[in-house]
Amino acid sequence: MTGYVLRRAALSVGVFVVMAVLTYLGVAALPGDACTALLGKFATAERLAQCRAEHGLDAPVLQRLGDWMAGLLRGDLGYSVKRSAPVGELMVPRIRNALLLAGVASLLAFPAAIAVGLATGRREQSKVSRTVDRAALVAMTLPEFVTASVLWLVLSVWLPLLPAVTVVSSDDSIVDLLPNVWLPAITLAVLVFAHVMRSMRASVSATSQRPFADAARLRGVAEATVVRRHILPAALPPTVNVVAVTAAWLLTGTFVVEVVFNYPGLGRLAVDAIADRDTDLILALTLLGLAVFIVASFLADTVIRLLDPRVRAGVGRA
Amino acid sequence: MSSKRFRSTNGSARRGVVLLAAAVLASTALAGCGGGDSGTKGVLRVAYYAASGAETMDPYDGNRFWPTINMVFDRLIGVDKDFTPIPELATTWEPNADLTEWTITLRDKVAFHDGSTFDSADAVYSINRMIDPEFDSPVRAVLGIITKAEAVDPLTMKLTLASGEADLPVLLADYRALMTPEGSQDSVGTKPVGTGPFKMEKLDAQGTTVLVANEQYFFGAPKVARIEMPNIADAAAATQALSAGQVDLMLTIDAKSAALFSDTSKFTVQRIPSGDWNAIDFRVDQKPYDDARVRKALRIAADRQALTDLVLGAGGGVPTCDTPVWSGDPYRWEGDCAQDIEGAKQLLAEAGFPDGIDIEVFTSDVEEHMVELVEAYQEQVKAAGIRVTLTMTDASAYWDNVWMMEPAFVDSWGQRPAVQVLNEVYRSTATWNPTGQADPELDAMLDDARSTLDAGQRTEKYQSIQQYLFENTAIFVPYHKTLVRAMSANVKGLEPVVVDAVRWEKIEVG
Repeated sequence: MTGYVLRRAALSVGVFVVMAVLTYLGVAALPGDACTALLGKFATAERLAQCRAEHGLDAPVLQRLGDWMAGLLRGDLGYSVKRSAPVGELMVPRIRNALLLAGVASLLAFPAAIAVGLATGRREQSKVSRTVDRAALVAMTLPEFVTASVLWLVLSVWLPLLPAVTVVSSDDSIVDLLPNVWLPAITLAVLVFAHVMRSMRASVSATSQRPFADAARLRGVAEATVVRRHILPAALPPTVNVVAVTAAWLLTGTFVVEVVFNYPGLGRLAVDAIADRDTDLILALTLLGLAVFIVASFLADTVIRLLDPRVRAGVGRA
Repeated sequence: MSSKRFRSTNGSARRGVVLLAAAVLASTALAGCGGGDSGTKGVLRVAYYAASGAETMDPYDGNRFWPTINMVFDRLIGVDKDFTPIPELATTWEPNADLTEWTITLRDKVAFHDGSTFDSADAVYSINRMIDPEFDSPVRAVLGIITKAEAVDPLTMKLTLASGEADLPVLLADYRALMTPEGSQDSVGTKPVGTGPFKMEKLDAQGTTVLVANEQYFFGAPKVARIEMPNIADAAAATQALSAGQVDLMLTIDAKSAALFSDTSKFTVQRIPSGDWNAIDFRVDQKPYDDARVRKALRIAADRQALTDLVLGAGGGVPTCDTPVWSGDPYRWEGDCAQDIEGAKQLLAEAGFPDGIDIEVFTSDVEEHMVELVEAYQEQVKAAGIRVTLTMTDASAYWDNVWMMEPAFVDSWGQRPAVQVLNEVYRSTATWNPTGQADPELDAMLDDARSTLDAGQRTEKYQSIQQYLFENTAIFVPYHKTLVRAMSANVKGLEPVVVDAVRWEKIEVG
């Protein structure tokens, strides 16, 4: 297990270095830089030169990247030119807010999705099962802002239960932020529920028809035990992978929902950082995004190893 | 500039959904039922958008936090509804005979928020920062004509100008020409201390900024105890917040979203003609735009009323005949510039383009309406044989790599008084003259107008300048925008004037 973890860690560092170089070169290749974004319409040649010298943007691209990586080893994520603040300072409250949003959305979506997926997957042809599946298909295909607008109309305007948008600062307390998290979390939960539920349903349905499930039934094993001992361990691994990828997306990829509800998470910060050519911030967010996906995928693999004896034993598919 | 606008990140699809939601609201007569604790007495909640991301409370900085600076600081001279100069921190202003020296008398017994007294040393310090060539504030483009500011006594300041300027009071009424305490340059950006109606309690331009009333304000204590300003980046999200009662006021909304608020007694909508404008600029140092006939043909081929309606929506703007001077300015010239396809064809033929002309116009979605303008123009001028290629460019680098660089490009300006906009954008030596058009005759006309003491004669001269521009300019200005403002019906005392003329201390929340 230790060797496995070390191999994964080494691979992750390698992937990060490659991604950092590509990201840095990609941002450098885009027209404009942090100083043109900062100074806007009234950037004169002198002001641009002064700004670039002040922030070290006049140095060669690779030197800047090297400096950033050296800073990273010292725990320094760099400086945001546009926001006049250290990147670490900017990211900490946003990471907290993203975790809160992802956490609430996950709690709302994942347990329900797995339970409903299991129930409907076992009776795939029933009317209820097919109706649920179709509803989930609709929820999946609707653009997020449509779902968001409907929820806003119902929950903020008709039944004024929840705030329409977040109007507190990103670093306000969790207590202040909490009422604002529900609408974005419910919007994301609808989408995530649909994805995970359909994956679980398909997986349970396929597993239920496998010969080993029928064999257990023929041996007289009770249906509840067939589900718990035979169907679930085989049906869960693909869903665990979907859950892991979805959870990682919930932390970093929720730009649309953040904009619609003015929620101060990581997605909006990332998109703004790219528009502002805020290279240090972009790199730090890339690193974070990569870390989230690596951790999620590692956790998923570990859970699958625990669930599936074939993987633990190194036989069959991994 | 862009910071005065909300941006729409999701385009028309999202706006469509929100409008649909509005229709549902109207049909069920439930609009405005929500809001829970909306309209908390004594608190005005204003949605705004931190466009720059680098907002500072230093009013002379390019990234000044608008309109918050105008709540915290005062100008020497303000403007009333008709844009006539009125006293703020100055009580009188008198020029010498040739308008090159102005004596400004300051208001007595005015205190900054920290209790210190405002006097001529602060005024001189503020003016000097505005005109400092090394600091190079954007305000310098307005007040650079001032060469010297000196304190005569604690309540008198003398300003010396490079040349006579009859409209110095109008220039001093620029929304950024605010008075800051002497020696505050290092602190004003983050810990602002002004004389204005509101004091800064919490500065968080990316989140929610909070201001509290300055009970000692010299125009009288403000009517609301607090102003809260949440930063809401997406225009549709801000309209959601207003619909649900989370904010009380949106200073500007998209004209097409006005339907959300106009049909209900819960909201008030104001339509305010403004001096904001878009343009298509042609570089006169590039062929074929070096030929005045081509430039005029390109301008007269457009149907400005139709263009205004198409780009801004019906009632969204006031058509204009290539003058940057807006309809509320006393110097505005109202020309006749109906679409003239035959005239355009003839001018093009005379300039050597009998078979029409192909042009490329660069644009970007860096600000709203900049792409729609070219799309509408492209269709309109086809009939005159003008074949327009629209080239989209990246928003992040537009002002640096495209604006003032490409042969033809789209431009956007905020409201400025006639004297300012003509000198800042059209004068040969102006830093921001976007077309490179150097015209000594125009410069002489500008010098003559600004140094004319008689108001009637000065008006005639400024109108002649605009007429002259219509024949010669390389800047096609089809419209000035009408701002649409929406607020809860419980917001009172906010006059339908552009933000520069808003008296924040008079606004009430009932």
